[in-house]
Amino acid sequence: MSDNHTTGRVDRATLFAMGLRANLLQAAWNFERQQGLGWAFALAPALKRLYPDREQRLERLAEHTAYFNTQPTMASIALGAAARVEEDRSAGVGGDAASMARLKSALGSTLAALGDRLFWFSLRPFAAAVGVLLAMARPSQAWGAIALWLVYAIPHLALRFGGVRWGYASGPAVLSGAFRERLEAAVRWLAVLGCVVLGVALAWALAPGGEPRPIAVQCALAVGLGAGLLTAQRARPSPTRWALAFGLLGLILAWRNHS
Amino acid sequence: MKAALLGTLVAGGLAALDATPVAQTLASQPLVTATVLGMLWGDWSTALAVGTVLQILAASTLPIGARTPEDYSVGGVVGAGVALSIASGAPFEHVRQAASLAGVMAGMVAATLGVPLVRWQRRQNEGLARWCENALRAGREGALAEAQGAGVALAFALGLAVTAVWLWLAHLGAAKVEEESLRLAGAWHLLQPLWLGFGFAQLLHAFVQRRLERAGVFAAALVGAWLVIVAGAP
Repeated sequence: MSDNHTTGRVDRATLFAMGLRANLLQAAWNFERQQGLGWAFALAPALKRLYPDREQRLERLAEHTAYFNTQPTMASIALGAAARVEEDRSAGVGGDAASMARLKSALGSTLAALGDRLFWFSLRPFAAAVGVLLAMARPSQAWGAIALWLVYAIPHLALRFGGVRWGYASGPAVLSGAFRERLEAAVRWLAVLGCVVLGVALAWALAPGGEPRPIAVQCALAVGLGAGLLTAQRARPSPTRWALAFGLLGLILAWRNHS
Repeated sequence: MKAALLGTLVAGGLAALDATPVAQTLASQPLVTATVLGMLWGDWSTALAVGTVLQILAASTLPIGARTPEDYSVGGVVGAGVALSIASGAPFEHVRQAASLAGVMAGMVAATLGVPLVRWQRRQNEGLARWCENALRAGREGALAEAQGAGVALAFALGLAVTAVWLWLAHLGAAKVEEESLRLAGAWHLLQPLWLGFGFAQLLHAFVQRRLERAGVFAAALVGAWLVIVAGAP
């Protein structure tokens, strides 16, 4: 391996290329290394700039294909921070492979804990609730799908591209207290807004356009709501399996009533 | 119809990409794909009826950590595609409702059966990752892009293939659904609100998190919206 250190810096175009490549973070997701391959692929533009020596660059790339996993949107922040550390490393002032692995592990688990709550447990269900409400209220238009996509994709893509720059600017200290507090506040507000949207959606489902639906339909909604609240207390069977069971039961009842 | 079928197949492949390998923007969610397919087939009401139910169920299915959740990206395309292909050309409303029920059931089954398929795909990617690391160490710099490309191609091909199988099954079962459309439409009238209520409850549980004040916000929004909707109606 060459010992050719450079004092190159990661520029804005490189950070943008990393953000773009972060869209393929999970292209080859697997149980063994999870996002490892995508991580190396996204970090490659920075490594190309920092390590002009081909052998050294390939060594670093191979090193970065090791295990990595976090919430995929938040991974951009870790990518930026890792690029900053690689910058120091290429200048001969950073740590070694083991310290990079420790950094990736620490950033990955912390960002996963924050990102899972924000994106998977809050924003995704919130976007779905907004989409379903609009789809029920405007069934002949595409507003439900558009709203669902925009509500999720705008913050997701903004963080995917902006997160790389953010992580690079702050380095490993990116997960400061203020950042966490802002994310926690966003989670709380999304939960409250989600409750409001669901309340409105349920009211609309009971009386779309002000016209109350037949009592049998209202009862079916209430039974579904009650069953959902009961089954949500346990993770298994999954909601889909319950819904399939209800479907089969409904089909059996329909056949018996018509025969 | 051929163009719509082809479009549905491509949508299956693209949905499989957005779900995990590429971008993850939620463009693969059932409501979005059903809306696109509704435009493609020229039948909004059937597409949205199926898409709304599958969406509310998909929303409580989360890809946390290494867990492989039900595959509602391809399941959503399958559900809307099956319903639209059965309902296409059907002159009666009850046939479209029967097709909606068949579509939702097909979508849920496809999403459930998608789990082992996604696991298989991820196991193939393990070999790809090992090959990539060895190739990089052997001096092949393009190995990363090749491995990424292979992962994307495999996901697209699987999504497309699964959609094709389900559309073929829908073609085989369309006559039976039409024949039993009165019974199925009757079941749809009760199952659609039941599924919606069930999905709302799952989401509500995720938002409330056993906090009384949030349950209060939900109740206030429900009552307030009910009053505005009912009293505000002409």
